[in-house]
Amino acid sequence: MTQKPSAGPVAEVLQGRSRSTQGMFGDWIRSRTPANSWPVVAGFAVFAAMLGLQQLIVPGTQRLLTSVFLFVALAQAWNIIGGYTGYASFGQVAFFGLGAYTVAVLMNNYHVSFWVALPVAVVVGVLFAVVIGVPLLRLRGHYFAIATLGAAEGAREVVNNMTSVTGGGGGITIPTFGSEAPTPYFGKPGFYLAFLVLAAVSVAVAALIARSRFGYAMVAVHEDEDAAGAVGINTTVVKVIAFAVSAAIVACAGAFYAFQQIEFYPTDVFDASFTVLMVIMVVIGGSGSVVGPLAGAVGLELLSQFLRVNLGSFNQLIFGAIIVLVVVFFPQGVVIYLRDAWRTRQFSILDNVRRYRL
Amino acid sequence: MIAPVEVPSAAVLEVRHLAKRFGGLWALRDVSFSVSEGEILGVIGPNGAGKSTLVNLITGHLRPTTGQVLIGGRDVTGLRPWVIAHDRVARTFQIVKPFRGLTVRENVAIGAMHGNERDRSVRDALTTADELLDLVGIAKHANATPTQLSVADARRLELAKALATRPRLLLIDEVMAGLRHHEIESAVELIHRLRDSGITIVAVEHVMKAIVSVSDRILVLHHGSILALGSPSEVLADPRVIEAYLGHRYLDRRSS
Amino acid sequence: MSQFLQAAAYGVVQGGLLGLVAVGFSLVWGIMNVVNFSHGALAVTGAYIAWILNIRFGVDPFLAIPVVAVALFAFGYVLQRGLINLVINAPIFLTLLLTFGLNLVILNGLQLLFTADDRTIDTSYASQSFAIGAVNVPYGRLAACFLALGITVALALMMSRTRLGHAIGATGMDRGAARLMGIRARHIYAVTFGIAAALAGVAGTMIATVGSFNPTTTPGQLTLDAFVISVLGGLGNMYGALVGGLVLGIAESLGGLLLTGTWVNAIAMAVLIITLVIRPSGLIGKAMYGGRVEV
Repeated sequence: MTQKPSAGPVAEVLQGRSRSTQGMFGDWIRSRTPANSWPVVAGFAVFAAMLGLQQLIVPGTQRLLTSVFLFVALAQAWNIIGGYTGYASFGQVAFFGLGAYTVAVLMNNYHVSFWVALPVAVVVGVLFAVVIGVPLLRLRGHYFAIATLGAAEGAREVVNNMTSVTGGGGGITIPTFGSEAPTPYFGKPGFYLAFLVLAAVSVAVAALIARSRFGYAMVAVHEDEDAAGAVGINTTVVKVIAFAVSAAIVACAGAFYAFQQIEFYPTDVFDASFTVLMVIMVVIGGSGSVVGPLAGAVGLELLSQFLRVNLGSFNQLIFGAIIVLVVVFFPQGVVIYLRDAWRTRQFSILDNVRRYRL
Repeated sequence: MIAPVEVPSAAVLEVRHLAKRFGGLWALRDVSFSVSEGEILGVIGPNGAGKSTLVNLITGHLRPTTGQVLIGGRDVTGLRPWVIAHDRVARTFQIVKPFRGLTVRENVAIGAMHGNERDRSVRDALTTADELLDLVGIAKHANATPTQLSVADARRLELAKALATRPRLLLIDEVMAGLRHHEIESAVELIHRLRDSGITIVAVEHVMKAIVSVSDRILVLHHGSILALGSPSEVLADPRVIEAYLGHRYLDRRSS
Repeated sequence: MSQFLQAAAYGVVQGGLLGLVAVGFSLVWGIMNVVNFSHGALAVTGAYIAWILNIRFGVDPFLAIPVVAVALFAFGYVLQRGLINLVINAPIFLTLLLTFGLNLVILNGLQLLFTADDRTIDTSYASQSFAIGAVNVPYGRLAACFLALGITVALALMMSRTRLGHAIGATGMDRGAARLMGIRARHIYAVTFGIAAALAGVAGTMIATVGSFNPTTTPGQLTLDAFVISVLGGLGNMYGALVGGLVLGIAESLGGLLLTGTWVNAIAMAVLIITLVIRPSGLIGKAMYGGRVEV
């Protein structure tokens, strides 16, 4: 039984608005003005630059940039569930490993082409996300973080023990040469391109979502689930979809990674440090924005490689110390700090430290 | 308890034998009433009487232990809050719950985006938000964050958020608390305007003067049960109500 | 049958030890809402201190325990007061990240100092065992288990009978109110973390006597066990940590008997997830700290 409000100025406001635009993309297009379009232009420019750069750089740098692209994608994916929706998952690596193993198993055991195995890997990731998401997304805060961590560890153990299918602890190999190979190996340039596209797509997806109604719903769920429910947001659906989208991107990344590595063990692709790196990149860059995770991923991966090359055995220690320092001095993320400091002309780092202290 | 029978109801809201228990405490006990279209029902009662519990039960934030809630004749007992919201029911929270990281305008727009007859684009929702901010009188704060608002303005924001979902039934929870004289008057005026546009209103309130001037009927809750239900003058003259609020000594003194 | 009993007995004594590992972790989580990723690293630090004392000065590990406790308490106090207190009011995953970074620093520091080799502390008595019927109970583990029990009881008594314990509990339930009563929250938090670090160090020492440890895999394993046990037993619940430890110890021990391969690790995970979904307050815990007011 619907009852429409009768006439009057209040009623006019409360009548539904005529349907002017449909869908996220149309909405986004229509709201572009010269002023706020520069990120898109910048994005395209960077993408083109990265493409062109490929010809100019040595293979070593190509490898470096490829791993940077990988982490850009992973950071954006984590940001969707952790940054926007506020559910800090510490088990995203589960989807990475599942994506990797799906591709490896399909290509090795069943000689399926990579291009067929890839969508299957994504589907597997999404299905797993929905299956564990529905019960686990009822938990909050630390509990959710640890439950997802447990799920990731559990997934690794299961894969580890399905020796007949996955090769278990002995690892798995994707055939890449000769008639055995279902798909020819991409090679360094090919993977550079593949990961670049993945990174670009993940940034685009994140940007589209951020300004859409769904993006607002995610933020509302993050800020206050009760209030979100009261205004008509189906919080369960929002959380599960965010979780699934994140999982899809991560699974896709895992699939590419598997093909790139050719052979790997369960501990390689279910390595918890992937998750931690994802989280660190987003937090240090600044969660809840699109640029933050991007900057965080680029900065941290470059830093990590630099340390690895130049400091040898000290590198993990210094890396840990840097994490501690950045968390203490820039809790809101370096990008957000810079943005706010620029806007308010207040650069004092000591003041920043006092924000969250006891 | 009457067995649930689907009696067609012309009432916008009907509550049948609603009860809620928390552990050993009955917060609400056998509460039944109905609200007709276009009516303003005031709900009053001492602290702990169960007023907010009642609102939470109606809007789906709590599940009743027993009893039924019907909106427009449809049984919505135990449904999730967003399902009920999509049945054109909106509410405000006694302790306001704004989305702190968003601007005031965006706060209202969220309701417009996800409520009934929702705006399909963010831009449309923001326009609706602007109109609603104007309606409740905080248009000048559109770009501020909720934490920067005064108490009265924060209440207005809470109201605008609820209105953005285009409800036909609005439950407001202690909107007047802590407001000054003239703020109460403008709030009362706003509530009347909302009713004139066709929204049915249930107002939980503590501030007597406001509730008496706003309500068509008043429901008095005490220790989780209905103490009285009737027109404001009837209710305020009811000795049981006087006793509950002012004590039996007062009552004795008056009658002696 | 005797195999079953042996596994069960082993699980019980192992469980007592695991409980001690977890009790400090659970305390810190329950009182301060800090999940200390570096808890296992602190335990291993304690183990190394005892190991050095043993190798260099011939000190029996059980005698080294007071030294380890004091050293780790001081370390923990400084860490909390100087570092973790700085991000207490920030969103949760910031403290997680901070302790993760700390974990990296401590782990790698230990590795640089002592190499990644497995170490252990040999004592003449630890490996010997006595028999009850068909079941062998090793002395070392049994001593560790009793010590763990004793310490946990002492801790629980301290929490409920002393002024310090009351202050800690009050700060955990409502920091704002506690401060209004004159409790110095920064100090209390630091003391709490110091206690947890000391307990971790002691646990690490005892683990060193009954098995081997290294700076790469042991810390992570211990922290993960502490997670599971804390959830099982309820956050901030001392006796709960013991119970949780026992449950986990027995489950893993029996599981190792019935299942092959590394499915045992999966057991801990399954237990964790099921507990979280069905009863987040733990098997015997109460959801005490749900409605906090943070000031």
